[in-house]
Amino acid sequence: MIQPQTLLNVADNSGARKLMCIRVIGAAGNQRYARIGDVIVAVIKDAVPQMPLERSEVIRAVIVRTCKEFKCEDGIIIRYDDNAAVIIDQKGNPKGTRVFGAIAEELRELNFTKIVSLAPEVL
Amino acid sequence: MGGAAISSHGLACAPPAAVPLKPRARRASAAGHRSSPQLLLRSDLPAPAALCRARSQSSSLSNVNFGRGDDADKLLEDLLKQHGEVVYSSGGSPSPAVEADDDAECLSFAVSLAKVASEIKAADIRVLCVKRLVYWTRFFIILTAFSNAQIDAISSKMRDIGEKQFSKVASGDTKPNSWTLLDFGDVVVHIFLPQQRAFYNLEEFYGNATPIELPFDTQWQ
Repeated sequence: MIQPQTLLNVADNSGARKLMCIRVIGAAGNQRYARIGDVIVAVIKDAVPQMPLERSEVIRAVIVRTCKEFKCEDGIIIRYDDNAAVIIDQKGNPKGTRVFGAIAEELRELNFTKIVSLAPEVL
Repeated sequence: MGGAAISSHGLACAPPAAVPLKPRARRASAAGHRSSPQLLLRSDLPAPAALCRARSQSSSLSNVNFGRGDDADKLLEDLLKQHGEVVYSSGGSPSPAVEADDDAECLSFAVSLAKVASEIKAADIRVLCVKRLVYWTRFFIILTAFSNAQIDAISSKMRDIGEKQFSKVASGDTKPNSWTLLDFGDVVVHIFLPQQRAFYNLEEFYGNATPIELPFDTQWQ
């Protein structure tokens, strides 16, 4: 359940550390909250120095982990320890080159196979 | 990470029957360790399964012949020898020959896709068997194209071949992109521009995958 003002971790090596959601886009049905696989507009609140992305930059990101339980089609319920997102550009290419942590397989069905193929483990 | 919930679920469904392990095994092993899912399944699962068997056997035996521990142990060992094998073999990796048969169709599909790419002068075509590393696909095709028009030509021809000859519909990018991805299910095609290929460096990330020899020259100059 990601909504505007939610702080998220960044699960890639793009250089940002913390994001704040400022708008949910592309959430099907419920426009208020974003869940795994939804794209949000976010602002970078904290960034690693000497990297291309800087603080207070507005970017797009796709949510890959949520503390709120996520129900898969096969009945498995997954919940993670943190809210995390991967930064993408307007065309859907990830800004970083590697993704950290576990990622749900449902991202593949939502046409984020690039992020899935960069992830070390897929649930 | 939601590892606790998933792994406990996997273990809970493991003991009653040996055969239904397989469908769950993928997710259970993926949740446990990143390095060797197959290894984890083999070393981890038999222990609770055997424990469960031992418990049920000893409880039933204690009712019948109480106080004869040696006989019970022997019977238990025999039972483990007979039925324990099923548990061990269900999670183990089958022989390379069986795997090769399974993958034959996907492999021919991947090779034909690579051939199409080489006909349209894509460079540095690599076909990787990533079946042992990730469970969600079997083959990666990584290739470099030099312009958006070339990417468009390659992807449209690959889609045509997939639909007409192998009846597989690709999802993924529909417009040419600097990293265009075609997802045929068991085969995933990555078409890069040269800069993006060096940037993402997928070959290094999947360095442990087994490269597959192609029957034609891939180094187009």
